[in-house]
Amino acid sequence: MKFADVQIGSAIGPEEIFISKDQTRMYARSNHLDAARFTDDEGAKKEGLPGMILPGNMSLALLTKLVTDWIADNPARMVRLGTTYRVPVQPDHTLTLQGFITNTYPETKQCEIDIWIENEEAERLVTGTATVEFSQ
Amino acid sequence: MVDFDPAIINKTFETTEPVPVSRDRIAKFCEAIGETNPLFTDDEGAKKGPYGGVIAPPSFATTFRNGRHFFEHVPRFGRRGFDAGKDVEFVAPIRPGDEITLSSAVKEIYDKTGRSGTMVFVVIRSTLRNQQGEIVAHIDHRFMNRP
Repeated sequence: MKFADVQIGSAIGPEEIFISKDQTRMYARSNHLDAARFTDDEGAKKEGLPGMILPGNMSLALLTKLVTDWIADNPARMVRLGTTYRVPVQPDHTLTLQGFITNTYPETKQCEIDIWIENEEAERLVTGTATVEFSQ
Repeated sequence: MVDFDPAIINKTFETTEPVPVSRDRIAKFCEAIGETNPLFTDDEGAKKGPYGGVIAPPSFATTFRNGRHFFEHVPRFGRRGFDAGKDVEFVAPIRPGDEITLSSAVKEIYDKTGRSGTMVFVVIRSTLRNQQGEIVAHIDHRFMNRP
């Protein structure tokens, strides 16, 4: 895939993933995030949450992976990503990651991609915009 | 209109000590997010790639912790703020063996009125540099407060 192949409106994903509580704890611990909301349900409830949640940076990492999986080994790299955390993301749920190309900029060989994470009820939990730059 | 001292804007308030990036730390990060792209996981395969070796996934840049006094410098307006999102500019790859420092400054403070009332956003920009002083990423943290 080269920049000329990128079409506005093209879909990225959808990709369904299941993030377990153990995986969330692994992420939190490996990044020294010791807040109870990332590691245990009871601690999270004491903070007024329905249960454990994913760290915001973990959601950001999952959206980044959606884009880098799309880039694969093509001559391109992600240069920017903006995310908005709308609703806490809870583990032990199936999440759907997807997006579509919203703009292309031939002068810089860049494209913009709207991306998001949604839950089983199709509620968008985290939204974002990624910019990918092609070298060819 | 939110009231604050404009002198705090763009003034670096904290720079961290260098944090070493080990190959193992990148591997653990990849495992935690289910990353299998050879560019980030396969030492032999990545040698043939565009970077001549394994690099960290772009989002690895967000794993560096801010300094101990970071939150003391994040202005608060009313009730406790929360993380509303991030904007990350990926400037250069992070590689095993790098040593990363973060410098942080208040970038912007603005208010916004929506259906749920007025919100004040504080944007802190953290700039990540490697051991050569090269910028590898800018991270804008958006904190939302309700006055």
